[in-house]
Amino acid sequence: MNFKYGFRLIFILIVLLGTSCHQKSLSRRGDTVYKIGNQKEWAELGYETNSWEEEIDLEGGEIFWSRTQFNLLETPKEHQSFGIDLVNTFGEFEVYWDGILIGKNGNPGQEARLGRSGEMWETFRIPQTLSNKGRHVLALKRSLYYYPDHIRFNAFVNDYDYLLEFPLVYTGFMYIFAGAFLLAALYFFFLFLGNKKEKPILIFSISCFLFFALILTEFIRTYISIHYSQHEIRMEIISYLTFFIAILVPLYFSLQFPFPKRKLILGIYIAILIYVFYRNHHHYDQTSYDMALCMWFVSLGIISFGVYKKLKGASIVLLTLVICAIINYNTYFDTSLFAGFGVIVLGMFYILAIKAKEQRLAYEKTLVQSTRLRLELLKKNIQPHFLMNSLTSLIDWVEESPSKGVSFIEALAKEFDLINQIEGKTLIPIHQEVELCRTHLEIMKFRKEIDYLWEEEGILENEHIPPATLHTLLENGITHCAPLSDNSIRFKLIFETNSQFKSYTFLTIAKVRPTTKKTTDGTGLKYIKARLEESYGNLWSFSSEATKDGWKNIIKIYN
Amino acid sequence: MDGKTSLKYTIKSPMNILIIEDESRIAKRLERMTRDFFSSTLHSLTCIDTLPEALEFIKNHPLDVVLLDLNLNGANGFDILGTAVSKSFHTIIVSAHKEQAISAFEHGVLDFVPKPFNQNRLEQAFNRVVLKEKTQTRNIKFLAIKKRGGIQLMEIEDLLFIKGAGTYTELFLSNGKKELHDKSLEKLEQLLPDTFERIHKSYVVKMTEVKEIIVKSGSKYMAELKNGELLPIGRTKYKDIKAKWL
Repeated sequence: MNFKYGFRLIFILIVLLGTSCHQKSLSRRGDTVYKIGNQKEWAELGYETNSWEEEIDLEGGEIFWSRTQFNLLETPKEHQSFGIDLVNTFGEFEVYWDGILIGKNGNPGQEARLGRSGEMWETFRIPQTLSNKGRHVLALKRSLYYYPDHIRFNAFVNDYDYLLEFPLVYTGFMYIFAGAFLLAALYFFFLFLGNKKEKPILIFSISCFLFFALILTEFIRTYISIHYSQHEIRMEIISYLTFFIAILVPLYFSLQFPFPKRKLILGIYIAILIYVFYRNHHHYDQTSYDMALCMWFVSLGIISFGVYKKLKGASIVLLTLVICAIINYNTYFDTSLFAGFGVIVLGMFYILAIKAKEQRLAYEKTLVQSTRLRLELLKKNIQPHFLMNSLTSLIDWVEESPSKGVSFIEALAKEFDLINQIEGKTLIPIHQEVELCRTHLEIMKFRKEIDYLWEEEGILENEHIPPATLHTLLENGITHCAPLSDNSIRFKLIFETNSQFKSYTFLTIAKVRPTTKKTTDGTGLKYIKARLEESYGNLWSFSSEATKDGWKNIIKIYN
Repeated sequence: MDGKTSLKYTIKSPMNILIIEDESRIAKRLERMTRDFFSSTLHSLTCIDTLPEALEFIKNHPLDVVLLDLNLNGANGFDILGTAVSKSFHTIIVSAHKEQAISAFEHGVLDFVPKPFNQNRLEQAFNRVVLKEKTQTRNIKFLAIKKRGGIQLMEIEDLLFIKGAGTYTELFLSNGKKELHDKSLEKLEQLLPDTFERIHKSYVVKMTEVKEIIVKSGSKYMAELKNGELLPIGRTKYKDIKAKWL
């Protein structure tokens, strides 16, 4: 299937996208030590930090220093500069590289006086003369007025141009990705508006939209300066988005691959998710990751059950989960989350595509089926057994008694007329069906010279029934039953209704002929069942069995 | 009608006829027309409307002709057709399903009367019985042979020649085997294709199997078959055969 290959190709692209952006590391970061206070010489390369500590407690707002050893593994080439990325700093600081001030982010220690300034992420250029291979010291004069708990920070040394360009390129790629999800979200939302019964489509659309919003929020930092104090707003948005995605994805899979006790299991899952969400709420990244992990495991369970039940598409989706795990194992945090989500959403997409194909095939099948049933109905009166036997009897009647012959012709004309009236319909009023049966009996009286009697009980005027269903039962009764000793065959139609179902009981009161080897009633019953399915889906039942008085058929239509 | 007046002379023995038809009006029509046609030469006429009863009746009564509807109470008439054509009597199908005619002739019925029918068409079929006319279509493909445990269809292609043996016949096949058939030589001759020729009062042979005709002393004629078998040729038949085949 081309479909599958296309799908795999997209996978490979995503995996490549997620893993191709690494550049080899140019430095090794050593330990970081801290000391409260402020002395100029703390920036010096050769300063001894014996009395410094690896953990300190801050009140908030006071100036403190941190010193981090870096070992550069390479000397920059001509025209190349190294830079240093300081990430998740949560405060304001001055940056000293080997004792030289190379930049600042806000005004450390003066937040209360000067107000908020500085960003969450900053990149600083390291002077070329200070980037030779070997040991270096990064000293930060810092203050954490708003977030005294966030002493730790991340720092990376790399090619300066790379540090500036890579986030933009990466964001560019991710936004292409996000755009695709936005389109998918809109497309499937409109699709849902066209058919409001299709809940999975709505869930998929919302998931795509949330995923789009997630990527947008995650990478907004690349091109919009966010003050470190607003950092949490962004993280909060991301964690909520993740939370809802983590609910929707398993919900979606549960609709596509149903399993027993669905509501209970999903309820437990959501409870666990809420717990994970609030347990370590301010460790945003970790919380998002844990929620994604919960989602992955629950989805794995649902899809594995689908595979076990041999549901269509389940094994491909299982593969997406496995790929998701592989990506997670091989990439760092953000990529793992986004590429992982992306792959899962593609898996969801794939199921929708499969379902759409199934629906189309089912629709085509019903079209063919309806046409076939219509033809079968039309054929009832022109199939040779009915037509030629009727005509032969008719000739005989005309020869013997022209007036009887005329009555016979009138009965035939009436049946033809009734069949014509109901020919294109899937449901007809019950009285029309009864009239069809009575007319048919009229004809058969002329042919078989048996006293056919018709009785009905409880028939409601405005009930409807698929065309020629009772007529087919009547034909079967005539064919397979012999008259009683008084040369009569009685047919009785009983209609009953209650809160759960309506039922038609069709009785043939006669002698049942001993069944010969092969009977053709199979096609008649098939017709009835196909008609019931056409109009009532699977909300019906049909039984047909011999009784001591003849034959009993029951059609039940459930509300 | 000319045909009808000469009938009395053609029908040598009284006829036993069975009508198998589940439409009572049509059964009565067939019965009336049959009585009209055979009148005094009719020995017995029975109408049955179910297959099991019909099979039982066929087993226990001598019959000359059976009129058979191929669609009885929803049952497939070909089930009974095999049994019917293996018997000594001729079978005439009276059916609404014209499309089954070819298949019926292949099984070896004498005639196929499509519904609706009139008196003329039915008499045409009866004439074939009494005047020993050959079937017009002549496309019989099988002969139904009674075997232990049921009816077996033997292909006409495998048939070399037939020898009359009283009221039944012996079929000699190309594989060297011999089978018995309940139909008389006359009745089979009516059904068989043109390649089969009556060369003797007791022999019908497939002429393409005849290698040469040997003239023996005392103006005795023998047909030598490709497999070396020698069959007598009737003195009266010789001229016709010579004119037609040599």
